[in-house]
Amino acid sequence: MNSDQKYWNPVLETLSRKKLKALQLKKFKRIFQWTYDRSKFHRKLYNKAGITPQDIQSFDDVRQVPIVDKSMMRDIQRKDPFPYGDNLCVSLEEVCEFRQTSGTTGQPIYQADTWQDWEWWAECWSYILWAQGYRPRDRVFIPFGYNVFVAFWAGHYAAEKIGCEVVPGGVLDTQARILKIQELKATALMGTPTYILGMADTAKSKLNIDPSGLGILKITCAGEPGASIPGTKNRLENAWGAKVFDHAGATEVGAWSYECSAQPGGMHVNDAFFLVEIEDTDTGEIIETPGRRGKMIITALDRYAQPCIRFDSKDIIEWDPKECACGRTFRLIRGGVLGRADDITKVKGVLLSPIAIEQVVRSIEGLGDEFEVVVDKVGDIDRITLKIELLPGMEKRRSSIDQMLKDQLRIQTNLGYRLEYHGIGTLPRYNVKGKRFKDLREHS
Amino acid sequence: MEFNNNLNEINAKIQLLKKTAGELEKLGENFPALGKNIARILASLKMLELNISDVVYLSPDR
Repeated sequence: MNSDQKYWNPVLETLSRKKLKALQLKKFKRIFQWTYDRSKFHRKLYNKAGITPQDIQSFDDVRQVPIVDKSMMRDIQRKDPFPYGDNLCVSLEEVCEFRQTSGTTGQPIYQADTWQDWEWWAECWSYILWAQGYRPRDRVFIPFGYNVFVAFWAGHYAAEKIGCEVVPGGVLDTQARILKIQELKATALMGTPTYILGMADTAKSKLNIDPSGLGILKITCAGEPGASIPGTKNRLENAWGAKVFDHAGATEVGAWSYECSAQPGGMHVNDAFFLVEIEDTDTGEIIETPGRRGKMIITALDRYAQPCIRFDSKDIIEWDPKECACGRTFRLIRGGVLGRADDITKVKGVLLSPIAIEQVVRSIEGLGDEFEVVVDKVGDIDRITLKIELLPGMEKRRSSIDQMLKDQLRIQTNLGYRLEYHGIGTLPRYNVKGKRFKDLREHS
Repeated sequence: MEFNNNLNEINAKIQLLKKTAGELEKLGENFPALGKNIARILASLKMLELNISDVVYLSPDR
């Protein structure tokens, strides 16, 4: 096999936009019919809306299909067929993989996959890894606590499928993982940006190892948007001396997007396997124009056991009008996932996204990687406190850092902050996803 | 793109494989080592269909 081939699928990834749209519509009809015939939950929902499979003939028809959100899944689960409930479209005997969501926003959702669905997960990830330069010669270290969360499981299977050598970093602690990377001369890594940054810090502070000398060439990040945030991406790339790539996916959706090796400042949507729509959060209108942000409504076009049709992901994204230098015709979303509809909150009447703060903090030299944002009230007035760590030896530069931070925060978020400096290593550290935003206003 | 010219031929071979796998699946009802391995092969064949056959059957005018 020719490892120099640029695309995992040279046909689909370069298909004309017209044909991609035709493919999406054809697949939408197929998954809709399948689901209507087998899922009591969906059939009830669609009957109530007066929509049958025969009604789906165009994208305008697709937009009439009711949107499903996570709360509806919670209502039907933990019932027969146990524990998935009425949207399971196959017999329990065909289910071979159980996963669940992290439960960050409430009761976890259970996800069933057949072996075919699990192959599909690995297939979606194969598009990601191949586009990011993974090849059979790579030795991929996966520092992930293999468990009920889907996280990097599918990345593991896809790396195997591509032909890479996979080293599961399972129950090892961070120091042992770093030593194993060094011992085996691993060439690639996967992890959340928070954890990969923390690993670099541990290598330096606990093992006196410079991670940029370990020989890691590429890192695939997921679980948080950090690898698409320029400040965080730079820190990751500098720390490891590696190319860092973003990817977004979700347990109930699949691995729907990826940054390619051209690093275009955003991610490709896998338009052949997913239908992504962007909904204006105020009007409900579907946004086609690049540059307008909205909430992602997504359909997994080939997932069969527990289908995902017009799912409200709550991810905030926007289309990028530019064509990617890589030659893929899959559309780009600018800046990756820009936030979560349920993360963006109003402070002093202004919409605040924690991602904008992360970009500012991590773009300023002299500050550590960690930070924390606390919103509370003083009387009737909202107050934002930003806690940051000053790197050792930076005390003399503190006033200029302070000014730069205030200016950039004002420019990026239109808000003023109370800055609180902490010693390096004193703010909380996270092993998987960071929880750096705290809104205490309801309790103030 | 070089592959577009022989997609029909690739698809024909995928369908042949699928037909053979389907026949073996029927024979594997009381033969777990046959049935379960064929189930995995069928899942892989589905991935080939998603990657190739779905485009072949696509009407270019739609």
